[in-house]
Amino acid sequence: MEIKNIKSTNIPAFFDQMIKSGKVVIAPVLKKSGKVFFEAVQSYDQVSTDYIQTGFSAKSVVFPKVEELFSFKKDDEGIEITNNLHTIPETVVWGLRPCDASAFNYLTEFFLKENPDTYFTARKEKTTLIAISCAKADNACFCTSVELNPGSTSGSDILLTAMGESVYIELITEKGKAAVETAASLFTPGEEKSKEEFLAKVTSVFSMDEVKVRIKTAYDSAEWKHASMGCFGCGACAFACPTCTCFDIQDEGTQDSGKRLRCWDACGFGLFTKHTSGHNPRTNQTERRRQRLMHKFKYSVENLGIVSCVGCGRCIRNCPAHLNIFENILSVTK
Amino acid sequence: MTSLQNKVTELFENGTINLLIGFKEAIHKLPVPCFIDNVSQVEQLIFTPSCKGNLSVYLHKTEVKQAKKVGILANTATLRAIVQLVSENQLGDIEKTVITLNTNGELVVFATMDELEAYVQANFPELSEEDKKLLDQLNAMSRTERWQYWTEQFSACVKCYACRAVCPMCYCSSCTVEGNQPQWIKVSSETTGNLEWHTMRAMHLGGRCINCGECGRICPVGIPVHMLTVKMNQDIEAEFGAKTGFSVKNGYALNSFKPGDKEQFIK
Amino acid sequence: MDFEPKIVAFVCNWCTYAGADLAGTSRTKYATNVSIIRFPCTGRIDFMLLMKAFENGADGIIVSGCHPNDCHYTSGNFHARRRWIVFRSLLDFMGFDTDRITFSWVSAAEGTKWAGLVDETTEKIREKGPFTEFKKLDYSILEKIENDVVTE
Ligand code: SF4
Ligand code: SF4
Ligand code: SF4
Ligand code: SF4
Repeated sequence: MEIKNIKSTNIPAFFDQMIKSGKVVIAPVLKKSGKVFFEAVQSYDQVSTDYIQTGFSAKSVVFPKVEELFSFKKDDEGIEITNNLHTIPETVVWGLRPCDASAFNYLTEFFLKENPDTYFTARKEKTTLIAISCAKADNACFCTSVELNPGSTSGSDILLTAMGESVYIELITEKGKAAVETAASLFTPGEEKSKEEFLAKVTSVFSMDEVKVRIKTAYDSAEWKHASMGCFGCGACAFACPTCTCFDIQDEGTQDSGKRLRCWDACGFGLFTKHTSGHNPRTNQTERRRQRLMHKFKYSVENLGIVSCVGCGRCIRNCPAHLNIFENILSVTK
Repeated sequence: MTSLQNKVTELFENGTINLLIGFKEAIHKLPVPCFIDNVSQVEQLIFTPSCKGNLSVYLHKTEVKQAKKVGILANTATLRAIVQLVSENQLGDIEKTVITLNTNGELVVFATMDELEAYVQANFPELSEEDKKLLDQLNAMSRTERWQYWTEQFSACVKCYACRAVCPMCYCSSCTVEGNQPQWIKVSSETTGNLEWHTMRAMHLGGRCINCGECGRICPVGIPVHMLTVKMNQDIEAEFGAKTGFSVKNGYALNSFKPGDKEQFIK
Repeated sequence: MDFEPKIVAFVCNWCTYAGADLAGTSRTKYATNVSIIRFPCTGRIDFMLLMKAFENGADGIIVSGCHPNDCHYTSGNFHARRRWIVFRSLLDFMGFDTDRITFSWVSAAEGTKWAGLVDETTEKIREKGPFTEFKKLDYSILEKIENDVVTE
């Protein structure tokens, strides 16, 4: 892996250079509500540097909350169908955390493995992920339990780690290397060294190996009820989650013109599994939440070989009932 | 055992309740709702000022209704919600035992609905300072500034419907947002549709919302959605003299009328 | 091209619709900008219908029914009045231009009042111009989706 260094005072110059080179740069921004969200920015001044985790993940860059699959127009001449795949800009995501970056590995597997998804591919190809390792964590973070850590490079194109006056830069992919080329003069070559002392300490709450084995028989655990009775069935956890990929295809418009959209959906919604007949195979919230958690820790391992929870803690911070996924995983695999 | 735990044990043992909706501490130290169906679990129970959640929303759950005799830990907002729900004939099929902490921190178990109603009326909560400030700010803005403010807020809404899910007054088994023939509210999230969603939510809750503020507190993108019904409730109290969650004989202000209702704008 | 306001009128069957009919049969001349939608009663005029009319391009709206005490169903208009009071105030609180909605009572005998109401409303909306404030919302979000810069 190629290592470089940059003075921390030069970070804004690097950042603004990327914007000047014509890229759309998405970075954490402090909103009026006091929460930090990813947003397209025009300069480094807008970027927040003081956040543990953004409110929502960066998945919307490759899997937007509303994706227009195509639009159509009908007139006397016939039907015209267009999509705007060609308008997807070169995008840089700045400041996502290592857990979020590794979530892109799962997203890629999910969207590309069986029937490669054109829209995801187009967006993914144009996206560069510049992650920043975590110097701080809170009690909702549990990356170390899902075999990641505050400095993991998995999924990122570049990982930045602040080390006092200078920033240690790991160039993980070719895309990452290309990104620093936009401002090559700001960087100096560096050597590989340990990031340990600059990283947050996140204690592991469970052993993934044990969970993987025990969750196989957890489906019938009586603990699900205690773990999930408090669940309201909203989409707050799924929409914030970097690896939740449920979607709903919707047509909007009239007979003459309209569009087909792919919108975020959530397996926690009562409507999610409801049949046209009125029958609903997942009758209550306990079953719906079990589905979400079992998917993360069991089904995605079976289907794609990846645990699809990256321990970002968003579902814990955002849950109106304060339900805690790792506490629940612990209790159902006891 | 704390006095709360003792009390609940007693209620289980003498057969007053067979389910208790309360709080326990989650591994990350925040209070989570818990559903206790036997004495052995009573030890987890906590009830502190940080237990801000409005547990009355769970009274609509099938599993809870099936339990028939239900105890519930109630903060002031929950009490108000219960009064309003009773006035809307929503809690008839369960026997409720409501437990609260009074201002001196003592446990109160209400024997009857009348007692509960009297307690609520004597301890009727005011709007929080924070909400008052925001309301003043919004009222002081020009119309176009308010339009700017709210459309910006609504454009961030992702339609996760958490605000609906936590609301004790949103108990319809099938919500307008879920209907698709016709589709009143688009599934996709975009500003016009989001504005319509919030207008609809407020209109369905004005005069029924008990100002617990949960919807605004839990919105993952931080939209103060509760302000809409705060404003509506203010209007309704000023125009029609009705207070929500105040009396079990309240009814619903927008479901009734007086021939002498006043307005200035109908030509 | 000059701006021609699109006005949608939500009226009740028994009074205002009959009033509009009277204006027609009396050959009273009035603005042609209005599309009338007939309802059984003002009590049935759901606020969502108004929102949808704006969403689909209305520049102004008229809502009208029987005078108080004259409702064919005795109290539909009383219920409606309460809802309009809070609805109008809620819209204003959200910064919505409530001047774009005209509320009125027009009886079956008031053909002239109806014609005047439509003329007045059309003139008012013509002065205000197209309701771009509302239409722009959808457009701006579409633009955002196209550029995919919304991540919130
Ligand atoms: S399940 Fe929760 S902790 Fe895991 S990746 Fe999703 S939001 Fe993060
Ligand atoms: S776990 Fe929490 S955030 Fe997720 S659906 Fe349930 S209540 Fe909503
Ligand atoms: S909780 Fe917030 S984001 Fe979710 S639907 Fe309500 S207002 Fe929108
Ligand atoms: S404040 Fe919000 S959650 Fe509470 S009753 Fe009103 S609308 Fe429902």
